[in-house]
Amino acid sequence: MAYRTIVIENDENFLEDILYVLHRSPDFEVSANYKSAQAALGQAVMFKPNFFLISVDNATMLNSVKNFVETFPGAFILGTMSSWNPVIAKQAMDNGITGCVLKPFTAKQLLDYIRLYSARGLHKPAELISFFSPKGRAGRTTLAAVLALLIAEKTGERVALIDADLQFGDLPMFFDVEPERTIVDATQDIRLLTPITLEPYFHKIKDGVFLLASPARPEYAELVTPESLVDVAMMSANIFRYVIMDLPSGFNPLSLNLCRISDLVYVTTMINSGFEVKHTKKTLEMFESQAGENSKIHAVFTRVNPFTEEQREKIAEQLDYPVDVMIPNEYQMISVANSGRLARGLPQDTLLMKTISNLADEIIESGK
Amino acid sequence: MATAKGIERSSVIISVFSTTPGIGKTIVAINLAAGLASEGYKVCLADLDLQFGDVLNYLKLTSKTTVAGAQRALLDHPKTFDVRKFLIDYSNNGITFSILPAPLYVFDAYQTDINIVKEIINDLNFCDYIIIDLNSMFSALNLAMLDISTVINYVGVIDFLPALKNYKIGYDTLIRFDYEESKIRLVENRADSQKLINSNDVERLLGEPFYHRLPNDYPSVKKSINTGQPLMFAAPDSKLTKSFGELVGLYSNRPHSQGEAVTDIPTEKNSGGLLSKISNFFGF
Repeated sequence: MAYRTIVIENDENFLEDILYVLHRSPDFEVSANYKSAQAALGQAVMFKPNFFLISVDNATMLNSVKNFVETFPGAFILGTMSSWNPVIAKQAMDNGITGCVLKPFTAKQLLDYIRLYSARGLHKPAELISFFSPKGRAGRTTLAAVLALLIAEKTGERVALIDADLQFGDLPMFFDVEPERTIVDATQDIRLLTPITLEPYFHKIKDGVFLLASPARPEYAELVTPESLVDVAMMSANIFRYVIMDLPSGFNPLSLNLCRISDLVYVTTMINSGFEVKHTKKTLEMFESQAGENSKIHAVFTRVNPFTEEQREKIAEQLDYPVDVMIPNEYQMISVANSGRLARGLPQDTLLMKTISNLADEIIESGK
Repeated sequence: MATAKGIERSSVIISVFSTTPGIGKTIVAINLAAGLASEGYKVCLADLDLQFGDVLNYLKLTSKTTVAGAQRALLDHPKTFDVRKFLIDYSNNGITFSILPAPLYVFDAYQTDINIVKEIINDLNFCDYIIIDLNSMFSALNLAMLDISTVINYVGVIDFLPALKNYKIGYDTLIRFDYEESKIRLVENRADSQKLINSNDVERLLGEPFYHRLPNDYPSVKKSINTGQPLMFAAPDSKLTKSFGELVGLYSNRPHSQGEAVTDIPTEKNSGGLLSKISNFFGF
């Protein structure tokens, strides 16, 4: 059945273009078109529409998106934009839009967008989650990978893993894959990409989990500018409900920029020599001095032993900061990661898996 | 090699580098410094893991002067700058070496200027040996330090497949960056720990033998860190201390230790399945 479509567009040329495309497609049936959101909100209900194309180039129309979501629950509402603007795409998402599309478009591209945004999950803004570690060897990559698998399994929504540890990213090895396209290609091309054309840069690991791989050679990292990676991450937020980023160790323009746009930052530390708590303290102070607040920064400690509340309090006291997540030691995990079998089955019923599963539940809850 | 002031540098610079964090670089750097100092050389250990350096932590030292202070002084008063004012000494049983500490704050570390650091390191030319502890990335600073180094002590631990991948990729990258093979010294740490990957296979993979292999000795390392002393004081009779003695011998050209390392570390037989997996991964 064809989509009963309402077009809301105040630019004559774009309107003409859109109507021409829709009229020639058997998949869309134009019920009405309006030049203002106000008019559409008043009248469109008469047509029982289930598909909207609203120009979000216009600020009033962008703001009216939430009214459409309220008045027409269950309808597909796509924002149309004349050039890809990540900030507007995010605002539209905050207003509950299904997704944004770039003008002009063909009927086939519209169907692609509908497929993409249906698979994405709830019509809610994406959760951008960064895993930061001061020095590395913290279990950051393992945690990010397992979390991605668990969130996808629990929600049925789409999860992206971005391997931003550009020089020595381990995620492709963890999953035993060698994707043809990497983050270098995606960042080089981003100015020409749309959510539809960015999607194939991700390598499907399994249902709902997709990887944007780090490059094969460390020196290719130089080709990736922090700004272009921010753009890739923000566009990925339109394709995936969760975007999990494995950052390079320490503070650098790349890790700082990705933390800036993240909704959650997990500062991950493995206790080893004992001085790691000191490094984490320095890290938290640096975040505080950079952003002025730490509300999205969470401290994670891996391989905590003994795995007790007393130990949590002890670390928190040294840190002068709450320890939000504690992960127990699990040697089995190392051998699983070592063999690239991560996607084929996680060790079940272990304390480690239970802890990460709880973390996944918390993240899912906060994203609702 | 000419310094910024046009003086020919005579000191040996050994940079301690790796491409995987947390595999014992700082322990190696401290024990090289202590070992060379015990041979009577004048040694300075520069902690250039700027954001999260551990040299002071491992030696239970605190310092008000750091490389950040040296940078400020060099910028403000270039004519009267004296790098010695920014060093602190570690002394134990008549053996002394100097330390150029890493900045205390991450923010200062973030502000560090590579050319200034290069100048500061060149000013350490009064030392016989300069040991540089780096972090695990091909950053501009690390590459600048590798450039001015006499030898690169490239440390790896081969207990984890991603770590092996990064060791191999790092070595290939160093070669691609035109560092002479003779300058890169492959040092395996925790060489006899329980592991899935055989050292001989790793040498085949790299196409180059290990220059030295340090045995796994967690209790001694723990004792060293807990007491804040280099291994020769914290665990004088341990096999790791002995092995460090041999590595120092290789770097100081003592007559009796010329040639290959003598550490005798048993290697397991070919492990089959995993090797073929590694081979597939690296395509050989």
